[in-house]
Parts: sequence; C-alpha cells; structure tokens
Amino acid sequence: MSSDPFERPRAADGRAPDVFKMGGWIPMRQNRDGDEVDFAIVGTGAGGGTLAARLAEKGFSVVAFDAGPYFRPLEDFASDETAQEKLYWNDPRVVEGADPIVMGGKNSGKTVGGSMVHFAMVSLRFRPEWFKSRSTLGYGADWPIGWEEMWRYYDQVEKDLSISGPINYPWGPPRPRYPYRPHPLNAAAEVLARGCEAMGMKWTPTPLATVSAPRGEAHPCVYRGFCRFGCSTNAKQSTLNTYIPRAIRAGAEIRDLAMVGRIETDARDRATGVHYHRDGRWRFQKARNVIVAGYAVESPRLLLNSATDRHRHGLANGSGLVGKYLMTQPNQAVYGKSKDEIRWNKGPPSLAITEHWNYDDRKDFDGGYCWMGQGPLPIEWAKTVTASRGIWGDELRLAMQDYNYQVGVKMVGECMPSEANTVTLADQKDRYGLPVAKVTFGWSDNDKALIRHALDQMEMSLEAAGVTDLFRQEEDANHLGGTVRMGDDRRTSVVDADCRSWDVPNLFVCDGSVFPTVGGVNPSLTIQAIALRTADRIEQLAARGDI
Amino acid sequence: MRSMVEKRLGATHPRMTIMSGPTREADFADLVDDPAPAHVAREPRPGAPLRGYSHSVEIGQVRMVHGAAAMLAMSVLADSGIEHSRGQYHNPAMFTPLVSSTLSILASLDGAARSETSAHPLRLASYGIAMVVGLVGTAFHVHNITKKPGGFSWENLFYQAPIGAPAALSLSGLLGLAAEGIRDEKPGESPKLLGLPAAPALAGLTALGLLGTTAEVSLLHFRGNFQNPLMYLPVALPPIAAALTAEAALRPHKRPRPQAKLWLGITAALGVAGVAAHAYGTHRYSGGWKNWRQNLVDGPPIPAPPAFSGLALAGFAALALLERHGDD
Amino acid sequence: MTERSFPGYDVLDKRDTPSWNDATRDAIDERLKVPREPRFFSSDEFATLEAVCGRILPQPADRADPVPIAAYVDAKIFSGQLDGYRFDKLPPQGEAWRIGLAALDHEARDRHGARFRDLGRADRDGILRDMQQGRLEGDHWKGMPLKLFFTKRVVHDVTDAYYGHPTAWSEIGFGGPASPRGYVRMDKNRRDPWEAAEGKPGEEERALKENRHVV
Repeated sequence: MSSDPFERPRAADGRAPDVFKMGGWIPMRQNRDGDEVDFAIVGTGAGGGTLAARLAEKGFSVVAFDAGPYFRPLEDFASDETAQEKLYWNDPRVVEGADPIVMGGKNSGKTVGGSMVHFAMVSLRFRPEWFKSRSTLGYGADWPIGWEEMWRYYDQVEKDLSISGPINYPWGPPRPRYPYRPHPLNAAAEVLARGCEAMGMKWTPTPLATVSAPRGEAHPCVYRGFCRFGCSTNAKQSTLNTYIPRAIRAGAEIRDLAMVGRIETDARDRATGVHYHRDGRWRFQKARNVIVAGYAVESPRLLLNSATDRHRHGLANGSGLVGKYLMTQPNQAVYGKSKDEIRWNKGPPSLAITEHWNYDDRKDFDGGYCWMGQGPLPIEWAKTVTASRGIWGDELRLAMQDYNYQVGVKMVGECMPSEANTVTLADQKDRYGLPVAKVTFGWSDNDKALIRHALDQMEMSLEAAGVTDLFRQEEDANHLGGTVRMGDDRRTSVVDADCRSWDVPNLFVCDGSVFPTVGGVNPSLTIQAIALRTADRIEQLAARGDI
Repeated sequence: MRSMVEKRLGATHPRMTIMSGPTREADFADLVDDPAPAHVAREPRPGAPLRGYSHSVEIGQVRMVHGAAAMLAMSVLADSGIEHSRGQYHNPAMFTPLVSSTLSILASLDGAARSETSAHPLRLASYGIAMVVGLVGTAFHVHNITKKPGGFSWENLFYQAPIGAPAALSLSGLLGLAAEGIRDEKPGESPKLLGLPAAPALAGLTALGLLGTTAEVSLLHFRGNFQNPLMYLPVALPPIAAALTAEAALRPHKRPRPQAKLWLGITAALGVAGVAAHAYGTHRYSGGWKNWRQNLVDGPPIPAPPAFSGLALAGFAALALLERHGDD
Repeated sequence: MTERSFPGYDVLDKRDTPSWNDATRDAIDERLKVPREPRFFSSDEFATLEAVCGRILPQPADRADPVPIAAYVDAKIFSGQLDGYRFDKLPPQGEAWRIGLAALDHEARDRHGARFRDLGRADRDGILRDMQQGRLEGDHWKGMPLKLFFTKRVVHDVTDAYYGHPTAWSEIGFGGPASPRGYVRMDKNRRDPWEAAEGKPGEEERALKENRHVV
C-alpha cells in the first residue's frame, strides 16, 4: 500500500506525508544544505514541532530534523503494544544510579511529532506558584518566567490542540473554557471519582488532547484505548497532526530519518549549522540559528557531543550544568480488584483526575502530585504485576485473568531537582557512531516522602471506593525534565528565559530539559507553552536586530 | 368566555369534513405553501350538502395532530432503541419506551385513518400510557444522574441518560390526547385538551415542546462543540417558531398567522435536514458507515431531529384550529 | 484462585471486522509466523530457554497450539531490536540471556546432576525462585545481579512475548486490537457485543453463544 517509513525518508521531493490520508501527500518547501536557513531545529516534538510552526508562520525559514520516521497514523499504526514500539526511542541508553529510570516508551519518542505521538494526552497547566516555587513555596528553583505570562500561552496551546476538558476546572486561577467538551468517564475513571468523593477531594474529567467531536479532518475519539501506542484515528491532537502540518503549510521543511549528531560552532562562539545523518551519510545544514529540542536526554547529549576546543565540556556549558538536575516524575500507582467488570482498556487511560495534592500545602514534604485513572494494556499490566508483586508461573497466569476487573490510580508527582541526577556520555556508541547517553538517577528523601504520601492517599481512595486486593506499584517514573535548565543567572543556568544559551547567542534549547522544576503534572502543555513564548520572543529579538 | 366561543361558533358555518379528507402530506404542503387560512379556502361552501356529520370536527387537524404524535413517537422509538441498546437493556424497564412509543404510533395511525368523531378508549389509553411513561422515564433518568459521581454536573448531563429525551414521549402522548380531544368535540363547544381550550393549549404545548427540544439540542450540540456551524441552526431557529406559536397560544385571536406558519415550516424542514446532517456526521466518525455498530450509537443521533418536524406539524394544526376557533 | 473462562472467545475471530485495520492485520499475521527454530541462541541454549519460559508462564496442557514464547525471545534478540535502555549492571540482552541460561544449567547440575531442562517442575521452580531472590552465587553468573536479571530481563521478555500474543488476549478476555472501531459502552459491567463474554458460573452457555458473535 505505501512505503516503509523506516526505509527511506518520506519528506522529500517537495512533499511530505499527509497525516490525514492514507498514502496522501502535501507539498513542502525544501532547502539545500548550503542554503543558510534562519533556523535549524533539532527535534519535532512538543518543543521543536511547535516552534517550527510558529517560526515559519512568522516568516522565518525553518528546517526541522527528526531522527525518527514520518508516520501516517491511519495507515501505519497498528492496534498493538508490540508493533507500536516503533514509536519509541529504542536506541541504546545506559541507565544507572540508586533508582535507574526505565526509558523507551515511558518517556521518549523517535518519530516526527516526538513523544507526543504516544503521550497519554493529559494536558494540564502548572500551578502558578510553581513558576516561583523557591520564593513562594520554599523549595526547588524559581523560573525566569511568571505565571501570568504562561497563562496566556497555555490559552493559546489549549486552543491550538482543541483540548477536551471540563466546563469548570476545579483548581487554580480561572482559565478560559476548554475548546472542546470533556469525554465521558469510563468505569475506571468512575472508581477514581467515587474514591475522591468518599475522601472529600475534588475530581474532574481530565483535560485531554483528543477531540470529543470532529475537528477538521480528525475523527472524534472512539475510545479504543491504545492512546499510548499511537492514535490510529487522528483523534489525538499531537504535534504530528497539529503543529507539523501547520509548519509545512507555512513553509517549514521537516526532515525525517535525520539524526543530528553535532552542532557546529565558529571561532566567534556562534552556531553555524548542524551535522546530520540522513540517507546513509553525514551532511551539514547551514543555519543562522540552531534550536535544540530533543528532550531531557537527547538535548544535553547533543550539546555534550558538540564539544570543541573552545567548549571542552560541551556546547553552552559554561555553567557546567548541561546534563545536571535531571528530574523524572514519580509515577507510582495503587491497583486492586473491583467486584464489577471494569474493562479498563476502553477509552483513554486517564479520563479522570484529582489535583488535590498539588494545591494543598498541608504536608510534611515539598512539592505536589496529582493522580489519575489507569488502563494498562496486557503487556504493560503483566510487567506491573510481575515487578510489583514478584509473581510468576501459574500464579501470574491466573492473576492476569482478572484483567477485566482490575482498576487503579497512578500519580504524576513533582521530583526535586538535584545536581547529582545527570545525563552524561557513556563509552558505548550508537549506530551513528555517537556516544550514547548515560542516565543516572536516584530519588531524594523528599521524593520518597512524596511518593509514600501519594501511595497512602491513593490506597485510601481505592479502599473507599470499594476496591479490594490492593497492591502498590512502588517503582515507576515517567516524564523527564531538567538537564538544560533555564534561569536568570548564567552561573546557575544554561539558557535564559527565552531558552537562549548564555554562551552561544544563536543557540536555543526549547523542550522539557529547560524546566528548573518539573511540577506535579504532566509537562507537555507547559513545554508547548514555552515553545510558543520562545517563538514570540525570537520574533521580538529579531525585530530589534538582537538575533 | 364559553359563551363568547359559542356565539362565535354559532356564527360560523357548520362544517363537514369529508371522510376521505386531505392526507397528512397534502395538509402539510398546503399549510406551508399557502399563507392564507388554508382550510377555510378549501372547505365546502355554505349550503353544500351535508353528509353524516352535523358539527364541526376538523378531522384534517385531528389527522395532523395524530401525525405529529406519530412522528414524535417514531423519533422516540428509534432514538430510545439506539440509546437503550447502548445500555443493553440492563434494566427491563428500558423496554418500556419502545413498547409505549410503538403503541403511540399505532394509536396515531389508527386515529389518522379514522374519521369518527369520538375518542377511542384504546387510543386514549395508549396516549395516556405514553404520557406517564415519559414522566416516569424522566424520573428514572434524573435518578440515574444523581447516582453518578458528580451528580448534576455538566459531565453527567452530557453523557448520562438524557433528561429531556423521555419528555418527547410524554409530548407525543399529550399530542395524541389533544387529537382525541379535538375529535371528540361536542356540538356547540370548542374542543378541549385537559380542560383547556384545545387550540391555544395545543399551540402552547407545541411552543413548550419546541423549547424543550431546543434545550436538549443545545446541550448536545454544545457537547459536540458546534464543530460544524450548521449545528447552530436547530438551536437558533426553532425558538422563533416557538415564540410565534406561544404568541398564538397567549393571544388566540382568530387571524391568519403567516409568520408563525413560515417558521413552523422552517422548523419542520430542519427536522428532515437534520437527519441528513446527522447521517453525514456519522459517516465522518472513525470507520464511517462500515463501523456502523459504533457510529450509529456514538455518532450524532440520526432519528432525533424529526422530533422538530412532529412538533411543527402539531403547531400547524394548532394554528389551523385557531383560525377556526380563535378566542377573540 | 480459579481459572476464569471466556468460552469460545478467540480474538482472532475479529480479524476481518472493523476492529482491525490493515496495519494491525499485517503486524499480527507477521507475529503468528514467528520462526520456531532459534536464530540467535544455539539449539542447546534454546532448549533451556524453553524450559525457563515454560515455568515463568506455564500454559495449559490441553492447549493445542501453545504460544512459542522462547521463539519470540529469540526473534527479538535476533532482530537487534532494543529496549531503549540498558541497566548498567546488566550486559546487553542477548549476552545477559546467554550467561543466565548457562548459569541455570550450571546450578541444575550442581544441585541435581542434570540439565535444567531435564528437571521436574518443582526443581526448576526452586532454582528460578532462588534466582529471583538473589540467593544464587558463583562465577558462572559473571557478576550479573540476579534479581535485576530475573525481573527486568527474564520475566520482562517472557511476559512481553506471551501477552503480546492473541492466544493470551483470548485467555484473559482482552478485546484486542481496536481500530477503526473502538468501544461504545464504557460503564462498569457493560460489554460491547464485540468484546469477550465471561463464562461466569452458570452463564457458560450464554457466554459461548455471545463469544461466537464478537464481530
């Protein structure tokens, strides 16, 4: 029917895949390697894809690179956990430390559209205080951006993605109504709601980036439940089917299967372009500015791999903080059995949420967390059961037969930034001959206290909802942050509020790695809001000749 | 008031309606196209030979109101059939609206076919049951919502058993009762509906029905985010017809009401166009018509819009009655 | 704990319904054609691997066509497909498995004087349990942390293979692939007609009938 998206690049010959049509194409402007484009963007996920659209719409010439293939969801996505591992960053990475972080599907994508192609669509705003958690809440670090400004960009990204959310969101300052109505609850979400009501906590249908009614060429959600393995109906509003088509319409070029291995800098400490691997060879794209948007592992890895004699410890690393302050969000859960058939595989996994503990500060640890409904598919469920309960053999096979009765809630929590948690380079090389990332992580005492608190609360709520045979999933982590932190002091941060490197003025980093603190909610909406802000700031800087 | 009515009635020609009188369609087309008081023009001239009936039952209008009741009941039958199959009839009571709406349809067909001038107890019973089942259904649906976490929240109004839907069945029953009331008109008395003068009561009922239906459509189209601008039409237009019909109910003077007829006609057409729009919408859902088992249930409800047409038909009948009986 | 049953339910019956798209059909067809002969492991290693898989996920004796779990483990390593991460204390997946399989045979010989694959169930389980709890030692493990290897490699790979197979989906009453058709009935105790019906006690007949029509 159509070509293998892994075999050769699809975005070529003046066209790019039309994600809304099987075998479809849309015209795409292309640039030659020798053309000095305004922006070379590395990565097309929440940060890079969003920026590509906005910068192109502002009239800049843009080439955005992604190491992964360019999928058409309707024809390329199977309803299958195993087959859809093709969406993940499966290249080698070494994980170590007291609590090594499991990578791959949990937190890394390798496709045009980035990990948004397999994200769970949970689209939440930070609590306003988190942007100044050091000064207002006494922990972590202050962001160089205020919440009022971020609120405006949240408005914009929620509109751009047609987020389906509740009519009134119960926490935080007022926000405009979500562009689309909330989704119906599934049985798993109803259990969460009952648990919360029994504990006197608020809950709400989760704001999700999957449409509850048709939007343009996108079908409304059909509740197939394979969201985290790619949405084959285009209901999910990921970068792949929102900002990327916009970027191409506005004149940006997307290069799929294009792995950027190194950023070139000149003697004046300015970036001149990127070396990338495509079609079996290394090439060089000239660019006036470079934006790195590879997320919290690949972004620092690229900066470290771009070391020169003038930048011995990696590019943009005058502070020595590139790769440091890695954070990952605690993603522990409590599961149990319901007397009712739940069939939690139906619908998006996280249809209901409580953010109660993000807004309640009466706790003996720093940071907050939310929890939401769950619907793991069989393979993931088997991994959860075996890792948490240590069972195998007949016991495992029988336990798995309770699949349709299982129910659970899972936290997304705030992890404290610690200099000891890092992304560095390993001795091992990947298939491009580049040193792979070594990811070192361990929970702090505060993190552990937060996790304990969350597990207790979640367990109580499930008990209150009548769930039995409870057990805890004590090890799990998901979204990443940190490693290229932003700040307003070049000694304690890598980039400024505009995501611009303190050391290399035409180099930007714009993704989750700039987070000084990671917050207690899923980060994608915040990454995209920062990308929208960065695009506006770049326009302003360019207008006054500062770029 | 009664004497006024009698006086006025006495002043009009005793009318006879031919047994094989106008079909529903003809009635309908006639009323939409003809701004003049339609029935007056087509009625037998004074002095025309009378056959069989000596008083003025407007069997044409009776048929129309039966037709309206039937259309509403059909809409309820198909819609609750689909919606309750979503709920898989886990409560046997979920069959009740299917049975009751079927009875209502049969009663309406029977009523429309017959020209006798007295109400029939079986039809009355069918309509009475519909009225009651609709009320009980509303109570059930309300109860369902209160049982859910969140109670009367937007989420539950959007996705739990629709509060407004069973009311359509009650409405169908009421319309049927109205038809029976008009049919049962005693010589020298204006027809009655639940003790009220039938014409303004029917107009009022129509107006309320239109508003209620519009409210339900508003909720559901809001849920669908008005993603297609056409979705605003059934929210914006029927209230105009409702207002004009309500005006007729509140000031039941005997006069032509071309504006009301025009807007009722538009509302009726909207009901038909809505079916096409919903069929198109269903095709746009994932898998299109091949995935009909999902999309007929989760997509826009195809049988719902004709409720508007049924109500408009009742409105036409009310206006025609008012032209006969006006209350000035 | 007792076995649940979904009498007559076979998720493959849905292959040609709107629940499966072409990409899914291709992927599952491919999966069902997995070569039964090892391409990465030696036949000797493979026999030990099969003996391990048979204890981590023992399949019903009366199953006509058991899931070839070991074949999937072999196929994954042979294809070079990686996990996206490697614990620094564990060697790459193929190497880790080779060390582990050889060491299991070593343990079996030490303890029972026989190869692992020739041990009875209880003896095999005994060794595996000791591995899970980190109670085995010796140079033959080449410094591999046992708990980590057991949980993050052995059980991980075996469950990946088994619960990625339609036979396992049918066994647990999972609806399986769902696109372009998803689900309509999301409330508790509701099933779409194309979902598995459970043969709860007394309802086996009805379930059997319903499972014949999950299309």
